[in-house]
Amino acid sequence: MSNKPVQPLERKGIVLFGAVGAGLSHELSNVFNIINELAGLQQDIVAAAAQGGAAGLARVSDLAARIKAQVVRGEEINRSLHRLSHSVDEPDGTFDLGETLVLFGSLAARAARLAEVSFEVRSPESPTAHRGDPFALLLVLHACLRAAIAAAASERRIEVSAEDGPEGAQVIVCSADPISDLQSDASVAEMLETGCAALAVVPRLERAPGGGCLIVLNLGSESTEPRSRG
Amino acid sequence: MDHLRLMFVDDEEELVSALVERLELRGIDAIGVTSGDEALEHLREESFDVVIIDVKMPGIGGLEVLRTVSRRYPDVKVILMTGHGSAKDSEIGRRLGAVAYLQKPVDLEDLLATIELATDSKERVHPDE
Repeated sequence: MSNKPVQPLERKGIVLFGAVGAGLSHELSNVFNIINELAGLQQDIVAAAAQGGAAGLARVSDLAARIKAQVVRGEEINRSLHRLSHSVDEPDGTFDLGETLVLFGSLAARAARLAEVSFEVRSPESPTAHRGDPFALLLVLHACLRAAIAAAASERRIEVSAEDGPEGAQVIVCSADPISDLQSDASVAEMLETGCAALAVVPRLERAPGGGCLIVLNLGSESTEPRSRG
Repeated sequence: MDHLRLMFVDDEEELVSALVERLELRGIDAIGVTSGDEALEHLREESFDVVIIDVKMPGIGGLEVLRTVSRRYPDVKVILMTGHGSAKDSEIGRRLGAVAYLQKPVDLEDLLATIELATDSKERVHPDE
């Protein structure tokens, strides 16, 4: 058995997988619970009809449609988990920034909902290829979201977007509430530092024009040299 | 279980509407709400025999609602429900006065048995006339 130490990115990555995996598992559980009750209700209605009660095919059909909607919801959750799992496959490859942001949006939605924060992800309108580690970007975004949620006060609104800046692609996490610094929570600070080191970016905390704060991640141009893991 | 007045609290609206309808089909006067805030609002204005609460919800969570119910409405029986139960939450729930801690998905017959057991020893909000 090898005694090779676990690298920082891998260690923080396990933390991310744990946090996100637990949340998605909870969401899937909710889907199963709803399907369980809707199927039970369908059985109740059919049983009542068998005893001469009014059932109504439309009612049974409506319940079937509601069950199918939950299956679609469950498939989306499962797809996000699958894409998160594969985000570690090519740390030195090319990934689409918009797709990664959309994935982050679906992974982070539950945490934002539980924190009672309005959360929106706006991906670039056209595909934006970027060279680097998509998993490291997810790690950085997760840390930024945690920092923004911890700072959420009266406004409770967080937006994540990407745009082309003078030095290449930029990802911006915008909090409608002020964030005093990104180091106040040690685990968030470590996660941010590890992810940023892998992406070779330095996060900038800026005041947003209409109040609140921006965390700006300058990812550089498409031809940015990939950094090794750890 | 006629005349039993019950409130089900869970942030999953579909779950609330389906379970409430199933309880109503069994003669229980049930209402459903999707947040701890709403639950406390209803408790201030109406009487309930049983409140079933999801532990993990945005805003005021199930344990916090339970704490308030135990303090302000000690006659109300509280059943906690959870998707991913922990021994710690179960212990806290029991210490705060929950009569049961159930793991989802809950079989309806098991839930009805738990409700019956919980309400057996107390007078109902709407006693049989």
